[in-house]
Amino acid sequence: MYCMGKNDHAAISAILAGDKEAYGALVMRHSQSLFRVAFRITGNEADAEDVVQEAFLRGYRKLESFESRSNFGTWIYRIAVRCALDRIASQRVNDSSRVAGADDPVQDEVQVADGAAGPDRLLLSGEIAALQEKAMSCLTPTERIAFVLRHMEDCSTEEIGAALGITPNAARQTVFRAVQKLRGRLAPLRATR
Amino acid sequence: MKHLSEDDLIELYYSKEEPVRASRHLAGCAQCTRAYAELESDLASVKAIEPPLLDAAYGDRLWQSLAPFLPVYEERKRTLPRFSRWIYAAASVLMIAGAFLAGRVWEHHRPRISTAASPAAIPQPPLLPQLQPQQQPQPQQRERVVVVLLGDHLDRLERLLVELKHADADSAEMVSPLRDEARSLLTANRICRQQVKQQDDPALAEALDRLETLLAELSNSQGGLNAAAITRLQNEMNSNSLLFEVRILRSRIPDQQTAENSRSKGGTI
Repeated sequence: MYCMGKNDHAAISAILAGDKEAYGALVMRHSQSLFRVAFRITGNEADAEDVVQEAFLRGYRKLESFESRSNFGTWIYRIAVRCALDRIASQRVNDSSRVAGADDPVQDEVQVADGAAGPDRLLLSGEIAALQEKAMSCLTPTERIAFVLRHMEDCSTEEIGAALGITPNAARQTVFRAVQKLRGRLAPLRATR
Repeated sequence: MKHLSEDDLIELYYSKEEPVRASRHLAGCAQCTRAYAELESDLASVKAIEPPLLDAAYGDRLWQSLAPFLPVYEERKRTLPRFSRWIYAAASVLMIAGAFLAGRVWEHHRPRISTAASPAAIPQPPLLPQLQPQQQPQPQQRERVVVVLLGDHLDRLERLLVELKHADADSAEMVSPLRDEARSLLTANRICRQQVKQQDDPALAEALDRLETLLAELSNSQGGLNAAAITRLQNEMNSNSLLFEVRILRSRIPDQQTAENSRSKGGTI
C-alpha cells in the first residue's frame, strides 16, 4: 500500500525515546492518504477529518506495540480504516434510532429521476453521483469498506482482510455481496444507458 | 456447459491476473461475455469518490490539533528489541547449563568420603602422613598403609636388634645412636601395637608388646645405657628369641614394594 522510508523508523524511535515532536513528521507525511481513504469511506469531509485525527491519536497511543519490521504507513492506514468503520457503524445506529424504517425497502429504493430528465441531464446535474451514494448507503459498514478498498483503493483481498480483521476469503465474499447489492440498486440506471 | 457465476465474473473483473478458466470460457460463451460486459459497465459507473483537494498546510494543522493531547513517551518505557530479548534469554539458558555442568564435573572429581573411614574412626599416628579430611583413605587403602608401615617398622626393629646383639658394651660411640634409634622406634611401636590390636592378630600384638618393653629399657634405662645394661638387654633379647620372632613376623608381611614392582612390570606371582 505504502512505502515506508527509513525516516519513519527513525521518527518512531525518537518518539519512543521521548521526542514527541517527531510524530509531527509522521502526521504530515501520511495525513493526505489517510484523509483520502477516510473520505471515500465516510463520504464527507468533516467525518473524514475526524477519522484521520482519531487514527493518529490511536496510532500514537499504540506506538509501543508497533513492530519495527512493519510498515508504518500500512499500520496507520489500517487504524484509519478501523476508525472509519467505527464511525459509520455508530452513525448507522444513530440514524436507525432517529429514522424509523431505515431498512424500509421503499426508503432504500434508489430514486431515479423521471425519464423526462434524460441521461444527459442526469450527468450534468450530478444525480448519478447521488444515486451511487444512495446505493452505497445500502451496504453494511463492512461491505462498504470492503468495496471501497477493493474498487477505489485497489487493495487486495489480503489487505482488506487485514484492515477489517477478517480472513482474505471472508473479505472476498464481502466484496461479492457488496457488488451484488450495488448492481441491484443501480439497475434502474442501467436502463437509462 | 457450465456458465460462470456472478462471483466468478466479479473475481475476474478485480483480478490482476486473469483466471485462465474464466478467460477461456468467456472466449467461447456469448452469454457469459454479455454478462461480463454488463458487470463491467455497472462497476465502471461507480466512480471512485474523489476527496476534496487539501491545502499543503493540512498536515501541519492536524498536527497542531493533535499535539496537545499526546503524552511524551518516557525513555524507560521502551522495551528491549525483540532480538535483544532473545539474546538475553539464550545467555541465561547458557549460564544455567554451564553452572549445572560445572557442578556435575566438580562432583565427579571430588573424592568421596566414606562414613566408615571418617576421621573419628581412624586414629592418626604421628608417623602417618597428615591427611586432610577429604584425603582420608578408604578401608582397603588404610589397611595397605598399615601393612607397609608395619613392615618398615619390623625392618627397623630387626636392624636395631642386630645392632644390639653385636653391640660392644664398652663402646660409648655405639651406645648413643642405639638409644636414639630405640627412642624413635618406641613411639612407632606403640602406634603399630594399637593398629595390630584392631586387626585381631594376637601373636603380632604380643611380640610388639615385648619389643616395646625392650625399647623402653633401651631408651630410658636407669643410670644410663651402660655396659651392664646392654649386656642385660642382650641376654633378655636372646632368651626371648626376639630377633628370630621379628624375622618371622617380617616374613608374614607381604613385601609391598616387591609386589608393587612386580605388578607395574606386569609380572604375576
